[in-house]
Amino acid sequence: MAALKSNSNYDVIVIGGGHNGLVNAAYLARAGKKVVVLERRHVLGGAAVTEEIFPGFKFSVCSYVVSLLRPEIIRDLDLPRHGLEILPLDGTFSPMPSGDYLWRVNDHGQTHREIARHSKLDAEAYDEFGKAMQAMCRFVKPILSMVPPDPATLNPKELMKMLFLGRRFQGLASEDKYNQVQLMTMSAIDFLDQWFETDVLKATMSASGIIGTFLGVRSPGTAYVLLHHYMGEIDGAFRSWGFARGGTGAISNAIADAAREAGVEIRTKSGIQKIIVKDGQAKGVVLANGDEIQGNIISSSIDPRQTFVHFIDSSNLPADFLEDINRYKFRGSSGKVNLALDALPNFKCMPREGAHLRGAISISPSVEYMERAYDDAKYGNFSRRPYIDMVIPSLTDPSVAPPGKHVMSCFVQYAPYKLRAGLNWDDQKEAFGNNVINTIAEYAPNIKDIILYKQVVTPLDLERDFGLTEGNIFQGELSLEQLFFLRPVPGYAQFRTPIKNLYMCGSATHPGGGIMGAPGRLAALEILKDFKGAA
Amino acid sequence: MPEQRNVIIIGGGHNGLVTAFYLAKAGHKPLVLERRSQVGGAAITDELHPGFRCSTLAHSAGPLRPDVVKDMQLDKHGLKLLSPEVGVVSFSPEGRALILYNDTARAAAEISKFSEKDAKKYPEFQDSLRKMSKVIGEALVLTPPNIDDPSKGDLWAMLQTGRAIRGLGKRDLYRLLRWGPAAVADVVAEYFETELLRATVAARGIFGTFLGPWSAGSALTLLIRAAGDAQAAGAASFAAGGMGAVTQAMASAAKQAGAEIRTDAEVAEIRVQEGAAVSVVLASGEEITAKAIISNADPKRTLLKLVDPTHLSPDFVMKLQHYRMPGTVAKVNLALSALPTFSALKSQDQNSILSGRIHIGPEIDYLERAFDESKYGNFSRQPYLEVAIPSLTDPSLAPPGQHVMSIYMQYAPFKLKGSNWENERVALGDTVVKTLAQYAPDLPQLILRHQVITPQDLEEQYGLTDGHIFHGELALDQFFTMRPLLDWGRYRTPLQNLYLCGSGTHPGAGLTGGSGSNAAREIIKDLRR
Repeated sequence: MAALKSNSNYDVIVIGGGHNGLVNAAYLARAGKKVVVLERRHVLGGAAVTEEIFPGFKFSVCSYVVSLLRPEIIRDLDLPRHGLEILPLDGTFSPMPSGDYLWRVNDHGQTHREIARHSKLDAEAYDEFGKAMQAMCRFVKPILSMVPPDPATLNPKELMKMLFLGRRFQGLASEDKYNQVQLMTMSAIDFLDQWFETDVLKATMSASGIIGTFLGVRSPGTAYVLLHHYMGEIDGAFRSWGFARGGTGAISNAIADAAREAGVEIRTKSGIQKIIVKDGQAKGVVLANGDEIQGNIISSSIDPRQTFVHFIDSSNLPADFLEDINRYKFRGSSGKVNLALDALPNFKCMPREGAHLRGAISISPSVEYMERAYDDAKYGNFSRRPYIDMVIPSLTDPSVAPPGKHVMSCFVQYAPYKLRAGLNWDDQKEAFGNNVINTIAEYAPNIKDIILYKQVVTPLDLERDFGLTEGNIFQGELSLEQLFFLRPVPGYAQFRTPIKNLYMCGSATHPGGGIMGAPGRLAALEILKDFKGAA
Repeated sequence: MPEQRNVIIIGGGHNGLVTAFYLAKAGHKPLVLERRSQVGGAAITDELHPGFRCSTLAHSAGPLRPDVVKDMQLDKHGLKLLSPEVGVVSFSPEGRALILYNDTARAAAEISKFSEKDAKKYPEFQDSLRKMSKVIGEALVLTPPNIDDPSKGDLWAMLQTGRAIRGLGKRDLYRLLRWGPAAVADVVAEYFETELLRATVAARGIFGTFLGPWSAGSALTLLIRAAGDAQAAGAASFAAGGMGAVTQAMASAAKQAGAEIRTDAEVAEIRVQEGAAVSVVLASGEEITAKAIISNADPKRTLLKLVDPTHLSPDFVMKLQHYRMPGTVAKVNLALSALPTFSALKSQDQNSILSGRIHIGPEIDYLERAFDESKYGNFSRQPYLEVAIPSLTDPSLAPPGQHVMSIYMQYAPFKLKGSNWENERVALGDTVVKTLAQYAPDLPQLILRHQVITPQDLEEQYGLTDGHIFHGELALDQFFTMRPLLDWGRYRTPLQNLYLCGSGTHPGAGLTGGSGSNAAREIIKDLRR
């Protein structure tokens, strides 16, 4: 049967209903464009999604905390009015095998005393460190809201941008210059070693330097990722890291709501099979069911591997570009274990319920522990003793679990997408999940007895179910050679592509992953520029 | 009344001698003070065993910067550089040999025995590397600019480099940008499928550093080293008479230009008055004053040991303490009764093929695992080895038919966990010989003398802080304007009249003379004032 040709014609077709796709669509619609969003799954949100996997328990299946969402987006889209409510996530609790623990909270005095318990020097350094990081963030923040320059052109506008950056750097106090350079180049541990002596403190802090990368805490480049995650922690618009009431999906729903209000048409269960390209121009898409949709502009929030390798005939792309896209590194390195619990976990080092369960619980007892977890992954095994970041949102937001019951979300690293020869994730899934539970049980022995349901999400699941190539949660590694004007590939860091009218607006573009929304917004602004140019 | 001098250079290593030469040529009559009884620092030749002479530490030059060789007329001073046609030969456990000739076509032909695809890619890789190394080469000759207020000269120099960089063209410029912070394992994987070839090229990115092939930034080390030698896996740059011949020639050139060199003259202290270095005190107690004091020693030794740190701002001291120089290299030198038989080679070819550098470390993972152990304070049980048999290119080094073998072993962390190097010395030597015996089974029987130089020895006998052969990691955050510290990349120090000229300054990286000649250029400017 011949494919039906839908006669509806859009200004913009946004591929993928993840948070970036939705932000992108909302901004375009608010500028008066006729926009449709096409989401493959039955739910919106991509990796920022809440699903009732087990009756009565709402899991934030993938992304589980928020802090990087750009304040300008919250303002522009008036997200609170659309139901966004962020509940604070107070502190980080790191149990140790020794039976001791490190518990940092938002309360300055308490944290100071706690760190002093481990090291007086570190307690002092901790405040200094906070100040230094703030200065760094002030420097980097504008870059997050900036379209990267192209260092390879002589176009004055681009050169001005470079100059602007140079000037900003020059403008830093020499102390901050020094820190900035180190942050951009060093490993998280080399950087932290300069500030602190307490092993568990360094280990826990370094953890945010490896998230979403295939790097260890000692790998150069991880200090930047540390900063990337620090950005939110001191964002004036937000109370550090938090949960969205109703789970992470609530963020996507709020953005979707704002988008609809602005006139965006959103279709779920509408995966595409092809992007139509005629003589170097994107013309529309073909849906999985064969329907064809025309659009003046196609904005893809899915990752470049999918966009350019799966959905576009390679004959339409320059060989160099395709080579770079194929080289672009995904290398998923993490998995999720989501638990429905009958009761709360009981930690040996701090028994019974308490405020320590309301924050993040981080299994990162020592730097060597973190580094060995990475060593396993380098050779294609999941970490025998992984880094685990746990939260129990039901303590702060009772709406996600039945009364008295709880959901616990466990982010696990390392879980390398590419297992060593002979292993595959479908066979390893069970072992992986059990290994995580066993690791947690070393600190909270009762965990095994209170599990009502266990959802294990492997990197392969992330790829198959959520369309994240190689299971990378950031649509591509946040490594230095894939950041800023190199993201996703050199020469195409400005959201445009070699194909006219085809744009990228996902986490694979600057400034990258996390529930930030910046790529979606920046792409929308570039697209609108080109509309003006065309008009 | 202390003896008065114009310029003092602390340390007669190769960079110290290069600086001495240029200063002498400019008429400043420098006095070089060397702690040991011979000059040369880490570039020396000693008698290993009666009738056997060996490059005790460095066995291959960086190679030397051509302008330095030319200016110092090292050939006239007896230096004969030898570069065998084989750059590197690399062995696989299955008994195969990958022979990388300096001649790209010949190398490609050898590679085709492993993979046609790689053989095609090799010239392409060489070409990109050559282009990029040219640009980096220009940056290495520069004095890093002053970031806060770049002088006209700085801006001009940067403009020149900027031009050169643009000259690369988009493709290679992007490559340069991507490679700088990348892991060398990724870079080689972009081009080659043969594990042995990948590992052999990647080794250049980790040699002498506390990085594994999977460490981001290791590609930069490859690029820096390629700046002087654009061979993918590096050429072999030996000297007749061993590396000592290089520094002997340099010393002779410096003397002829008017420098004075004193050996057995250990500097115990650099005296400072009102924020200016005024004199040095020798271990003998003798004091010598000078208008300018230049240190060839590494930055930590110079500013934290020889200088009383109280003369420096606490902030500067703190940063310098954080300057990373964890030694990772040990050295084993062997006197051999005959040439060992490498099972991968036919006996008739041995002499020519083994005359270059020999690489042991057949896979990326092998190298990475070797690195892993050092992260936890153990030396590698299956180490990465960089070997040379200089007596093949220069028979004068050993009695007829006999040989010396010089072996760099990596990784040997300066700080061992739960042990010390005196206890591990023998185990280290055995590990190296055992590892080599997997490729040359008869090696153990041929050993007449066995010299093991641990990272501890490198610090105690050769004055390399923490045993780091490059005076500090070649990492992104310790490169160019950041070597040794951000904004102290210009060979000057916070103390008036005190300068640095060793490998702890830009560009560092091996036996090239780069740091020494760059430093001399800046110091001469100041002395004119």
